[in-house]
Amino acid sequence: MDSKIASRALPAFAIGFALYYAPAYSFTGATSTFTWPLFTYFPEIDQWRWGLVAGSDTSGPPMWWYGWIAAAALVGLAFAIIALLLPERATAKLWSNAIWIVPIAAFAFLWNWERVWFGL
Amino acid sequence: MPITFLLILHGIFSVFLLGAVTHQFLGVAWPRRPGQTDFVARARGVNPGGYVQAIIILYVIEFILGSLLYPTYRVLARPPLQDLQLTWVIGLFEVKENFAAIVLAMLPSYWYFWKRYPDYKTTRTAVTTILFIVVWYNMIAGHLVNNARGLF
Repeated sequence: MDSKIASRALPAFAIGFALYYAPAYSFTGATSTFTWPLFTYFPEIDQWRWGLVAGSDTSGPPMWWYGWIAAAALVGLAFAIIALLLPERATAKLWSNAIWIVPIAAFAFLWNWERVWFGL
Repeated sequence: MPITFLLILHGIFSVFLLGAVTHQFLGVAWPRRPGQTDFVARARGVNPGGYVQAIIILYVIEFILGSLLYPTYRVLARPPLQDLQLTWVIGLFEVKENFAAIVLAMLPSYWYFWKRYPDYKTTRTAVTTILFIVVWYNMIAGHLVNNARGLF
């Protein structure tokens, strides 16, 4: 891959992914108004359905994780394309810092929602 | 393919990944000084860049195995944990799945900053440290979740 393209596209992909994934995990619920996951998987009946679908007695528990990853990957691709429109030299430092700062911020954001599991 | 076999394979590959990422992290964060020849120094005295491709391949294998195992966890392992109100065990797994997804998306950049963009040492160190922490956490959390519910 051309270095000039990779220097922007690869970090932008990871940043876009993290920026979508963290709120997707945090704000997805059976009654969410926005369809955060691209699709829902029902492991009990081995069925995939588009978008956010809640579980039921007949379909069993829903799995949104695969759908979040797919949707976050699309957002990451969009970020990568947008990043290629930006000047390479002027943004090199920005990407090299954001590639590790944004994921850490995403982990912190996620922790705020995950701590309920630990009674915190 | 029997789920127990996949779970054991997941555990075995996690050991390989853990070894590789630990060697690399030590080589970056605590490199061996000249003259040091003890066991720990030898673990630190590696060429960290030499581990990049192995770590990426092992991480992707681990991610695929984990993705294949996840539905079984969701259907068979998690409901009893909820019934027993062992929510902290479920929480360990939730953190693990989120770590795993976000770091997966970082792997292309991780490769790039190691192999193609050597100027940014801070970035390389930070990304490697994140990978090191996530792999260790996921291995320990995976073990705890598995031990809480068991194989069968």
